Amino acid sequence: MSISVKLDRVLLDRGMSLTELSERVGVTIANLSILKTGKAKAIRFSTLEAICKELGCQPGDILFFEDDGRPARDE
Amino acid sequence: MIRATGKGSISSILAVGLHIVRIIAWIGFAALSAALVALPLIPPFAEWVAHLDGASIDGEIDIGADDFVEVLRHFISFGVALYVVERLLELLKTLRFGTPFVKENAIRFRKVGIALLFGEVSKIVIGILAMLTGADVNAGLDFMVFVSIAAVFVLSEVFHEGARMKAEQDLTV
Repeated sequence: MSISVKLDRVLLDRGMSLTELSERVGVTIANLSILKTGKAKAIRFSTLEAICKELGCQPGDILFFEDDGRPARDE
Repeated sequence: MIRATGKGSISSILAVGLHIVRIIAWIGFAALSAALVALPLIPPFAEWVAHLDGASIDGEIDIGADDFVEVLRHFISFGVALYVVERLLELLKTLRFGTPFVKENAIRFRKVGIALLFGEVSKIVIGILAMLTGADVNAGLDFMVFVSIAAVFVLSEVFHEGARMKAEQDLTV
């Protein structure tokens, strides 16, 4: 996927664990893990909003676009 | 309101019905397989039995092309029915487990469509065979069957897209 997630980096900068973030935003560790490992196909605005609020960052600090030349839909 | 799964649901009633059809199809398929093997052996066997008894057979036991083609036609029909029923039972099983929208089910529907198409095409081939051999076999084609086969292929594509959407939903955070 062309969109990569740098959640682990932001978490490291804030000194926060995934478990702590999970408790704060009300998203299961399993789902945050899917997001962190880049397996997620989509992210809800509400989830993104909650994560950004808790980590005090912008969506662009978590999500990055890198064109890998592959079609976006059938991955 | 009738539930989709569980006791008394349409899927459970269908599963019971399909299990019964599977047993009938197995019996029919086994009997027709035996008939296909046994047909050429009937005249020499009858003569051998008659010879043992010291009797002679009045008339002639004639196993013609009609009989072969007719048995072959039913053999293919039962084989296709058996294959389709097995796939439908697998589909219902995934529905019972609450995971009907998976890629495997799209493939199962496609296999059902191909099997039904094979059954109909074999009817055409048998019809041609019967014409060539002069056998009197009823291999009539039904236009509605082809429409039904098309419906199965459409359903397969719908399931394919459904599986993709479900996978996407499962991976939405």
